[in-house]
Amino acid sequence: MEVFEHLATGFMAAGSLENLLFCLIGTVLGTLIGVLPGIGPIPALAILLPITFGLDPLSSLIMLAGIYYGAQYGGSTTSILVNMPGEASSVVTCIEGHQMARRGRAGAALAIAALGSFFAGCVGTVFIAAFGPPLSAIAQQFNSPDYFALMLLGLVMAIVLAHGSVLKAVAMVLMGLLLGLVGTDINTGLTRYTFGLSGLWEGIDFLPLVLGLFGIVEIIRNLENPPPPRETISTRLRDLWPNKQEIRDSIPAALRGTGLGSILGILPGGGAVLASFASYTLEKKITKTPRKFGNGAVEGVAGPEAANNAAAQTSFIPLLTLGIPSNPIMAIMMGAMIIQGIQPGAAVMTTRPDLFWGMVASMWIGNLMLVIINLPMIGIWVKLLSVPYRLLYPAILLFCAIGVYSTSTEPFMMVLMIVFTIFGYILHKLGCEPAPMVLGFILGPLMEENLRRSLVISRGDPMIFIDRPISATLLVATLLMIGLIVLPQFRKTREEAFQEE
Amino acid sequence: MVIKSPQDFGAGILFILFGAIGLYVGSDLTFGSARNMGPGYFPMIICGLIILIGLIVTAKSLSLEGPAIERIQFRPILFILLAIAAFGIFIAQIGAIISSILLILFAAYARREVNFVETIVFAVCTAAFVVIIFVYALGQPMPVWWGR
Repeated sequence: MEVFEHLATGFMAAGSLENLLFCLIGTVLGTLIGVLPGIGPIPALAILLPITFGLDPLSSLIMLAGIYYGAQYGGSTTSILVNMPGEASSVVTCIEGHQMARRGRAGAALAIAALGSFFAGCVGTVFIAAFGPPLSAIAQQFNSPDYFALMLLGLVMAIVLAHGSVLKAVAMVLMGLLLGLVGTDINTGLTRYTFGLSGLWEGIDFLPLVLGLFGIVEIIRNLENPPPPRETISTRLRDLWPNKQEIRDSIPAALRGTGLGSILGILPGGGAVLASFASYTLEKKITKTPRKFGNGAVEGVAGPEAANNAAAQTSFIPLLTLGIPSNPIMAIMMGAMIIQGIQPGAAVMTTRPDLFWGMVASMWIGNLMLVIINLPMIGIWVKLLSVPYRLLYPAILLFCAIGVYSTSTEPFMMVLMIVFTIFGYILHKLGCEPAPMVLGFILGPLMEENLRRSLVISRGDPMIFIDRPISATLLVATLLMIGLIVLPQFRKTREEAFQEE
Repeated sequence: MVIKSPQDFGAGILFILFGAIGLYVGSDLTFGSARNMGPGYFPMIICGLIILIGLIVTAKSLSLEGPAIERIQFRPILFILLAIAAFGIFIAQIGAIISSILLILFAAYARREVNFVETIVFAVCTAAFVVIIFVYALGQPMPVWWGR
């Protein structure tokens, strides 16, 4: 089987002592930051991004992937123990997991979440290995109009799945696109929107942007509205094992979650958040004991946790095969890859097979490490929750500042970070969620280039987008999504879904 | 005219301003045509759309009830920004240790009721830790102490 040959290459690359170490550091650091209440994968990745820059590309990607899974898993731990979701994809874990914890089944909930995630992670890895190559073969058929249509669909999906008002999310995406265009226009060599600042000639730097918008604004938000004192549920190691009934209930749920998550992860705009919500809804629909839901139903932990991990993994597929990030987290991953000098896309698989397969293999290794570091060491993570915030936030801030400085010693970078902190703060006050903006920021230059190329090919005729079957299909899907947003019934469901947060 | 949703009203105005600045600053870029897109083509379309959304959001904020804008607290944001600025200004000249300590001190005062002794001890320890990790373990080029 070719798949296993490829995976073997990957395990060779990822299994070196050095890379195992970076994978471990990544998962530990990710968990460390993710466990902190209110910090989800996006700020966690932003804060930890700089420490990966000094490494070689494979090690740095392995570490970043580890940080991502770690942060996501750490978020689940916090949801179960303190009922504070770090981010949207652990919201549903909060609902059932915390109820289980209150009934004294915290250990079981944590174990089911960890094992469910691990199982989903294994399947996700095989999924990428199996579907990566054929999808990248399809990607070879993609031409400029198709790329443009795909990005449009991705952006529309991001809008559908964003919190709060649809219109504001549209504006966020558009503003992101414009910010992405700042710098030198590759076609004419003219500088655009640089305000005469040489620091902007190569575009707005990614790191100060994400750190300002997500890392630092998060700190200011927490300082303005200190989270209420939380009731932390203590666990002992011997309570960790789920009982027979819990195991029997959670296995089918985890299987369904894995399947659902793997598929939803690949879709443009899909990812962990969508997968966990969808899985929770599914479990609630098909259960024979609806009364258990809301009171600590174990299926409501196993399903969504498996789903979000599977999706977290398979959402790498569009990034690695098409070079298009499907959600804001993947946009950050793409930003990191570009900083490393790798242009994500189908070419990565052929030119740097060690990189592609090494990363795939490291996902599995990372998931295994997560189970190992999370279950026996749960006590340490819980302790971390008791570190007072007054010590935590200055340290996080210092981390951000050093991170920016270590990638570029230009004082201008600090200015940019300050500007984006202020901008993010204003957006927060006005109820705008900045996550879709990052996606726009990354896609801005790509969209412009593909639009330009398409229209050059067709001599200015927009019909080219409809004449090509791939782009036509993607555009129809985009229109359907827009139709959904406008539909009043769907809007109500969407609002209700986000209401539960 | 009554503003029924202050948050949305503010957001709408922000979008309009953002788009307008984009149009104004980009006004000297060549627009070109669909067949031969100039550097101004894509940005102008986007700015136009942002303004359009801004107008709709503003209009809606006048007719539909919505949340008020949370009060701005100046202390946290001011001190946090000062902390970053201090770090940025001093790192190149006086090195990572002192600028890290300064950052943590400023940041700590973003809260009220600061325990000065605790903060100083914490700042010194964190600065040492950060220098060990970033400069010695990760080999990031950074002056540690007065340009060294």
